[in-house]
Amino acid sequence: MSITAETAKAHAHDPAVLCCRAEAGITIEAANLEDPAIFDDLVDSGLLNLDGALTIEEVLGAKLTKTCDSLCPLTADVVEGAKAPSKPAAPEAAEEEAAPAAAPVAAAAPAAGGVLKIHIGEGKDIDLEIPVGALGGGGAAAAEVPAGAAAAVAAAPAAEQEAKLIRSLTRKHFNITEVKRGPETKIDGTTLYIREGIEKECIDSQKLVYDLKIDIITPADYHTYSETIMDVQPIAAKEGEDELGSGVTRVLDGVVMMVTGTDANGVQIGEFGSSEGFLDENIMWGRPGAPEKGEIFIKTQVTVKEGTNMERPGPLAAHSASDIITQEIRECLKKLDESLVTDTETFDQYRRPGKKKVVIVKEIMGQGAMHDNLILPVEPVGILGGKPNVDLGNVPVAVSPLEVLDGCIHALTCIGPASKEMSRHYWREPLVLEALHDEEIDLCGVIFVGSPQINAEKFYVSKRVGQICEMLDVDGAFVTTEGFGNNHIDFASHHEQIGMRGIPVVGMSFCAVQGALVVGNKYMTHMVDNNKSESGIENEVLACNTLCPEDAVRAVQMLKNAMGGEDVKAAEKKWNPNVKTSNVEAIESVTGKGLNLVENEQSLPMSQKRKEKYD
Amino acid sequence: MTDLKYGDKIIRMEGVIVEVHDGSVAIDLKGRLGYLKVPMRMFISDYPIKVGQEVAWNMSFVEQLGPEINEKYVSNLDTYTRRQKEMREKNQNNKEV
Repeated sequence: MSITAETAKAHAHDPAVLCCRAEAGITIEAANLEDPAIFDDLVDSGLLNLDGALTIEEVLGAKLTKTCDSLCPLTADVVEGAKAPSKPAAPEAAEEEAAPAAAPVAAAAPAAGGVLKIHIGEGKDIDLEIPVGALGGGGAAAAEVPAGAAAAVAAAPAAEQEAKLIRSLTRKHFNITEVKRGPETKIDGTTLYIREGIEKECIDSQKLVYDLKIDIITPADYHTYSETIMDVQPIAAKEGEDELGSGVTRVLDGVVMMVTGTDANGVQIGEFGSSEGFLDENIMWGRPGAPEKGEIFIKTQVTVKEGTNMERPGPLAAHSASDIITQEIRECLKKLDESLVTDTETFDQYRRPGKKKVVIVKEIMGQGAMHDNLILPVEPVGILGGKPNVDLGNVPVAVSPLEVLDGCIHALTCIGPASKEMSRHYWREPLVLEALHDEEIDLCGVIFVGSPQINAEKFYVSKRVGQICEMLDVDGAFVTTEGFGNNHIDFASHHEQIGMRGIPVVGMSFCAVQGALVVGNKYMTHMVDNNKSESGIENEVLACNTLCPEDAVRAVQMLKNAMGGEDVKAAEKKWNPNVKTSNVEAIESVTGKGLNLVENEQSLPMSQKRKEKYD
Repeated sequence: MTDLKYGDKIIRMEGVIVEVHDGSVAIDLKGRLGYLKVPMRMFISDYPIKVGQEVAWNMSFVEQLGPEINEKYVSNLDTYTRRQKEMREKNQNNKEV
């Protein structure tokens, strides 16, 4: 297919190939040329040989001296009057300097793990790019990038303006070392007692809930069978009259709530396939959304009315019934004596006038049933007061970064165990933390936007996201999503809506091999892949491929580069984990700070299934 | 992971929506070639989803990766079906009472 003058300009340095038969004597125009985007496949399959081909900028306006067939590369012997190539662009110069180092680096780490996805599944005119640091030996080239970006920020006319403290959130930690059943729910020192018989109230509270069992899982019991884990939640409560997102929050350390369940016929709630099994083989410990090794789980196993496992009221009823227990613990937590506080943490939200203003857009699921989230409950990760984003029409909802960290999302999300963001993920959201603490940027807030089922609705909400970003006058935006599926359609649309307003966007998602993007557009130039699994797939290990601190650091650096106008290296054709490795190295060499990469499923006791199937 | 021998043999399949739930869609493959149930987010839709609508997608054939049996899956499946059976019976008895 022929290309437009605009495309020709964008691909000025790419090889020139005829799109269709052309007679000798014609003057070569953009319309005679094929889109370079398709060359990789043709070269791979041996249909095209680009050796000696002139570039598009060289041949435009030149005369064809010989009649050629379609897909014929234009070389010097068939073209008359080719222009001299323009001087290479600055980034390319940097690339060349770095080139000698590139080969050895790539060769040195052929089997390195880690993942930055830049594979494009299907689609046309997709320009995925990776930061300059991405090229194999990008250390040298990338080294200048953040420095340049920082300089641009510093040089802004706004000069030095004082950061303004907007609000603070204090977390008081209470330690729990033992969980027991007892006549009343109470916390005695570091022992949490859960009232015997509380199950009945949980069951009676929801018409759809037929049964509820509580299991207390200590580290010694990790190797036990469990139904699919629907959610992992912190146990936290607001102090006094404080509202979510500010004031004081009390939280129990060493213990988490875990929701599991089936319908009355034993079918998993909102779940597909086989992620049930032994807990210790199915949990990626220490991910923001997952339990830490050593924590005690208060695990509810809820039975809902048969057939409601896939309907909206079912999963919500299971969560609501479990929350009766959490709420009773919250009431005790509120009354605990201050002397039991083991640690106090304060999060300050600053606005930093004069710095680049950025916003985080987090896409959450809103297709229905278990693809739902309760937004802004009264208590951290509570039920009461929270509005399901499906009922809100999935429209964007603005929250403060501190509201996110204070549990403003109660997630019902159920599928894609490895990539789903559970309630605890938001409580420890790494991107929000990284952006909040970065003094070089001005984080103005977080926008949650649901992912509706129908495409028309996806574009409806996406346009609202674009409009909000326009009104916010941000200099840059992050767009994140969890998992993969039709949510990548709105993910791409958010990039377009924000990008078309001239705002640089960095996207974050699990992609790798299995979650390759289904669509793309020209604004999707900066992507960070959340994949951690060795083979780039949904490996059924809870929270393995979710957003981690290392991804947040990469995304923040990438957005700074984008806002500083630095070019980002184009994406490789196929997913290549080494891209992430070299980016991480580049960031380490610039910031001088080591970045500890998290472990992946290879660190878990190897279940037979994984050994045979995946690795 | 073992490479598929015929993984690039992509064929267009068509089907009919036979069940619509809040969280999933079930599809009968035309020509009695099977049945597929997918979560909502793996289903791309332009219109409200209704039983009887036709759908299509590209897929390949399902290939065995090897002769081995994965005991873990067998044990999970056993547990799961046993529990389902118990719960179904219990549920039935509850109704009769």
